[in-house]
Amino acid sequence: MNLEDREDFAVRWAWEGGADEGRLAPGTTSVLRVKNEARSLPWVLPPLLRATQAIVLVDNQSDDGTPEVAMRVAREHGFEDKMRVFDYPFDVSRCGPEHLGTPAGSVHSLVYFYNWAFSQVRTAYSLKWDGDMVLTEDAEGLIHDLSWQLPGKDVIVRVPRHSLYVDNDRVAYLDLGLPNVEAYGYPMGPAYEHVKAFEWELRAYPEDVEFVRLPDGASLELKWLDSDEFAHWTAPEAFADNFRTSRKRREYELFGALGKGDWESWPHLHRIEAPEGVHVIDHVTHEWLPHADRDVFRAHRLGTREASQS
Amino acid sequence: MSTTPAETPTSAPDGGRRIAFVVGSGRSGTSTMSGTLQALRMHVPQPEVGADSTNPKGFGEPQWIVEFHERLLDRVRVQTADARPQAWFDTERPAMRERFRNELFEWLDGQFAEAEAPSSGRRTSELVIKDPRLVWFLGMWRGAAIRCRATPTYITMLRPVTEVVGSKQRYYAGKLGEVSRTAGWVNVMLHTERSTRDSERAFVRYGDLLDDWTVPVFELGERLHFAGVQRASAQDLRKVHAFIDPSLRRVQLTWDDVTVPARLREIAEASWQALDRLADKDGDTPEVRTTLDELREAYIDYYAEAELLTQSTAESARLEGMVTERDRAAAAAGAAGSMGEGDGLSRIPHGLRAMVPAGARRAVRQRLEARKGGEE
Repeated sequence: MNLEDREDFAVRWAWEGGADEGRLAPGTTSVLRVKNEARSLPWVLPPLLRATQAIVLVDNQSDDGTPEVAMRVAREHGFEDKMRVFDYPFDVSRCGPEHLGTPAGSVHSLVYFYNWAFSQVRTAYSLKWDGDMVLTEDAEGLIHDLSWQLPGKDVIVRVPRHSLYVDNDRVAYLDLGLPNVEAYGYPMGPAYEHVKAFEWELRAYPEDVEFVRLPDGASLELKWLDSDEFAHWTAPEAFADNFRTSRKRREYELFGALGKGDWESWPHLHRIEAPEGVHVIDHVTHEWLPHADRDVFRAHRLGTREASQS
Repeated sequence: MSTTPAETPTSAPDGGRRIAFVVGSGRSGTSTMSGTLQALRMHVPQPEVGADSTNPKGFGEPQWIVEFHERLLDRVRVQTADARPQAWFDTERPAMRERFRNELFEWLDGQFAEAEAPSSGRRTSELVIKDPRLVWFLGMWRGAAIRCRATPTYITMLRPVTEVVGSKQRYYAGKLGEVSRTAGWVNVMLHTERSTRDSERAFVRYGDLLDDWTVPVFELGERLHFAGVQRASAQDLRKVHAFIDPSLRRVQLTWDDVTVPARLREIAEASWQALDRLADKDGDTPEVRTTLDELREAYIDYYAEAELLTQSTAESARLEGMVTERDRAAAAAGAAGSMGEGDGLSRIPHGLRAMVPAGARRAVRQRLEARKGGEE
């Protein structure tokens, strides 16, 4: 039970029994915790709907119609039966000091929020996904394969992610200078619950687990230049002087620079303009990234290696 | 239709590049399908593996692909018709490695360039890729196809499991028996079906291809939009008639001829029945897929049980491998004139010995001592 005694939001894992007697079905469920992602979901959801067997989308106090958009996108792509939308009505502590001060057993904790969301999963494997992350066409095929190959195995999938700063329908800036590869695919089971870290939550896993890594160019993280992308952080100062938040620091600085039209001085930042009639996000995922010379990922690869050695 | 080189390459009605991946278990007519599409002016990358007595009409397999796949299979220790469900994930790993992905992309891009070149006598934007090992690397091929701006399509050849096993027993020298071959067929076919799901695909019975190839080939040309099939000339069709030999189906067996455990036979037969339905018109339905999902789960459970039952055999084989390694290291040390005192295990360099878990080291030492005692 949670600290607030909210029985209706108790975390009940499938393996603890219940209606389906603890059995997890073969396959993979994508789990998205979202807040005001209505704008991104039309690009985020279709690849996941095609590549995985189910989606659990947990909405947290959106006021932009996010749940309705999620259902509409699933319906339009013929996957309504794969989509389950839940409402999580509590204020959740923001990353940084606010999170640190919140007990993990509280419904207001990111840890609790994650565990509650993942407790809705009924398949043997799960893919944590963000409401602004878009799989590229190539990586969608790989996730499609892994979605039936991984269930039952102690294997974690790491996904490279590249920030795409969207200026307008035709123009965006792709940052390939930032090493960013995180674990997103996890088996479901008691050894893989979420626990508390300093700035945010993290997922536990056994020591002898295996890892696989998707190739560079696997996914994009959408950042809309006309939105407040850092609203879920306590304050910019929260990531100003901490080595675990260096990525956020670069994103914050880049976001500010792009707002002022400064992009040419940033190494490994690509300005991409889509052809007439094609949205720049579609252009990057279906055209630019799949056909880019692999050397464009060199800085990303080197940075990733250095980061993993430090 | 002209038989001279076209002004522009023959390409699919949508104008784009297409790849026909011919998949399925070996001895199911994959070579016949590949050769048929080749006769219809789709491009099989050259040079090909040469024909032999097991396949007198040729394999339709590009040599480069065979060598590329063999290299990757060796790397992850997977066999062509591996019966282990785990093998699917093992072979997915190289698909994540940029080195292999790039190597494949560059080769494939070169093949399209060659097939589409004005100097090519049979200009086309449609490639045929076939190799019995192909099924293990479909993810990597899909990625390469995307980078080449080509649409991947899949043709799965179907033949009754008993005939496949019988044909393999007859034509392949082999250490594998009927049980292992049947299990390999189940594993390969059920997972190939899963791998190609949600893609453009067609299923063709080998028997139908030999009885009257025009029907299934016309249908797959329509379904998969192959210009080579849709725009075939009379001369092309003659070539296919000359190529397909109905007597190729030389092995026709039933379960009366193949002896396997009852449970394996049950899963294999049910799998064949369900797969066979996919070749019917509009037979690729959600109901059949659900049945195949259930059979795949049943096979995975059955194989896991068998692994548990035979764990002692696997452990013994592992120890045997370690002993062989020890013998090799000792021989190398002897050749260098550095044979010293002590037992065989002590003569293995310390660094190599330290890589072996302590428990296993003790077991090897006990075995060596027992053997030594026996010799005395």
